[in-house]
Amino acid sequence: MGDQMFEPKILGFFCNWCTYAGADLAGVSRLQYPPNIRVIRVMCSGSVSPHHVLRAFQKGADGVLIGGCHIGDCHYLRGNYMTIKRMRFLQDLLKFIGLEEGRLHLEWISAAEGPKLAQTVRDFTAKIQNLGPSPLKRTAQAA
Amino acid sequence: MQKLRDKVRKLLADGKVAGYIGYKMVEAHPLPYFFTKDRLTEVDEAIVAPGDARYPLDKLLLQVAARYPKDAFAIQVRGCDERGLIELYKWGQLDPDQVVLVGVACPQEQADYCECPGPFPAVIDYGEKCQPVAQSKRVARVESLAGTDAFKEWLAHFGRCVKCYGCRDVCPMCFCKECSLEHPDLMSTGLVPPDTIFQLVRAIHMAGRCIDCGLCEETCPADIPLRVLYKKANALVKDLFDYETGSPTAVSPWKVLGEEATLETKPM
Repeated sequence: MGDQMFEPKILGFFCNWCTYAGADLAGVSRLQYPPNIRVIRVMCSGSVSPHHVLRAFQKGADGVLIGGCHIGDCHYLRGNYMTIKRMRFLQDLLKFIGLEEGRLHLEWISAAEGPKLAQTVRDFTAKIQNLGPSPLKRTAQAA
Repeated sequence: MQKLRDKVRKLLADGKVAGYIGYKMVEAHPLPYFFTKDRLTEVDEAIVAPGDARYPLDKLLLQVAARYPKDAFAIQVRGCDERGLIELYKWGQLDPDQVVLVGVACPQEQADYCECPGPFPAVIDYGEKCQPVAQSKRVARVESLAGTDAFKEWLAHFGRCVKCYGCRDVCPMCFCKECSLEHPDLMSTGLVPPDTIFQLVRAIHMAGRCIDCGLCEETCPADIPLRVLYKKANALVKDLFDYETGSPTAVSPWKVLGEEATLETKPM
């Protein structure tokens, strides 16, 4: 490995109505962001179960980024109320078992916020790059 | 003990309940036992199980109630069993009108061992109220560890798992017909030890649902401190949503979206 830069694998769960459209906007605006993120489009960030996040870490994700509509803007009115509950709980639980904080991140990004999306992905990728490979992944590979 | 037996005998004789789930000495072992009106004399042998002999009576009641949905049943409950029944009512698994409590207060030693937040039920037919334990020392110890040390410790614990599913099978709150621990899309199959996330998946299911009876930990052949994990999950639910598991009135935060979102996203 040596001086080779660590390229993290990041999984994104983007809401169809806001964040995914925001990513679309970032794309057509030709904003640059690292290609480390793999995006899964979901109909609502509220449909992302903690199971999916844990499974992603198990399968080798170094970071998981959830993108949803701002509170009050949910296409399904209050789906993201559940997103924040679940993710805040999961973030704190992962902290308790000793996983570095920040590997799971939730950000509200609207369809108009292309630049915010690009910036979030840039920041998140840099953060995970700093943290290094996820220890959960290392265990999974050793097994 | 006499007071408890009299109550059970009366309930059965009056036909208020079709049966009583309690304990009886069988071959010198305190075991769960189903008492009925037809064998009323057996009630003289009904006992309160000693502290270290506990069984998931709630789970037995679930099975009995599913088989005889029209009948009411009495059941011996400790503080934890009662919390379990309340959660089961909330999740639509039992009807409170068909359950009669025969309450047992735990001795102080038991409460201290369990670090139990509520060691007695609302109805007490045996024993004296003792002091609840508000803070868990075991959880506090793990919280005081540095992140990497905690992770190492948990990993060592998880690595001992033999995937017997004992924690799930004994759990009175695990009533699902399909289990995510066995779902091939959510968990790798055919691995021992299982995926590292195995215990975490159970922990997220236990959040706001674990009644802290501790049977999972006592059942676990690998001595995984599951109770610490679930105690923390419950404490988080208390901190984040102000929800006390087993509270008779409060609504579980996982059942409603809520009128407003009170939490903020964490900064990166």
